[in-house]
Amino acid sequence: MDNSARKASPGRILDELRELCLTEYPVSVTLHYRALWCAWKWEASMAITRNEAAVALSDIENTARRSGMLRGYQVGGRILMMWSVIWAAGYLAMALAPAKVWAPVWMGLDVVGVAGSLWLSRGAAGHGAKALGAAWRMLGGMLSVMAFVLAAFAVLRPTDPAAFLAFPGLLIGVVYLVVGLWQAPRFAIIGAAMFVITLVGFFAFKSWLAYWMAAASLALFVSGVWLWKR
Amino acid sequence: MAEPNDIIHQPLRLKIMAALYAEREIGPLEFSQLKAIAQATDGNLGSHLATLEKAGFVEILKDHVGKRPRTRAALTSTGRQAFRRHVDYLRELVEGVGEA
Repeated sequence: MDNSARKASPGRILDELRELCLTEYPVSVTLHYRALWCAWKWEASMAITRNEAAVALSDIENTARRSGMLRGYQVGGRILMMWSVIWAAGYLAMALAPAKVWAPVWMGLDVVGVAGSLWLSRGAAGHGAKALGAAWRMLGGMLSVMAFVLAAFAVLRPTDPAAFLAFPGLLIGVVYLVVGLWQAPRFAIIGAAMFVITLVGFFAFKSWLAYWMAAASLALFVSGVWLWKR
Repeated sequence: MAEPNDIIHQPLRLKIMAALYAEREIGPLEFSQLKAIAQATDGNLGSHLATLEKAGFVEILKDHVGKRPRTRAALTSTGRQAFRRHVDYLRELVEGVGEA
């Protein structure tokens, strides 16, 4: 029932009242009871049913979820654009510099990336303790992924340098894909694209993989703009 | 039992209030963001925001970012209370509170 439509139009209110009072009113009672009948009918017609209440609560929940998702896109887009620049720099360094400098270069870039992500997401989760909690979760999440990458290299000991290049792209792609499947579809699309681009580079352009991954950072940047603009 | 609010209960106004309530700790929402969240048209959103502003539930903030005009909306404390009461009413109705 659209209660507001009635409220927005006084003429319509009068029409409905007239209809309720004149067409359904039992003719034989006094004017006093006629007024009471009319008021009762009007109130009954305005009442919210249990079903309508459930639909309204569902609308509220969906709206809050969409609001959070769109905020996530906006913040995530800015962070993705920043990381695309970091990835481009890191992979270009891997393409052009000897393997012994890869680790320190990535360590420096990751510190910049983590600090930048925290800065770009400031205020997105509110203020005070809530914001601090969100910042800690973000920091914990990023450090966990980095720790996982390092642990995987330590355990699996890949001998192919291309594995060092491809593994982070595959992992981040899967993380985005899984988060996207649960929370926000655009993250899933970006994650799947990152995963596929990395695999294509690994199998089709292995000798140029570092350049391939640096070029693929452009796709990340475009994805970031897509999220940010939504 | 909590009281329903006829102004808030209209479907689009309910979405507007829900979005602004969800973002109350983040800050005012831009018109374009609110339009995307509430899935409304410009005209519809404008007229319902005006109704909510007239009722004292929403504050409309107009300023400029550079040369671009910007319109934002935020819930007033009256709006927050009214929305909470309306949601309480809906929950009580769904849960059957107050029924014999």
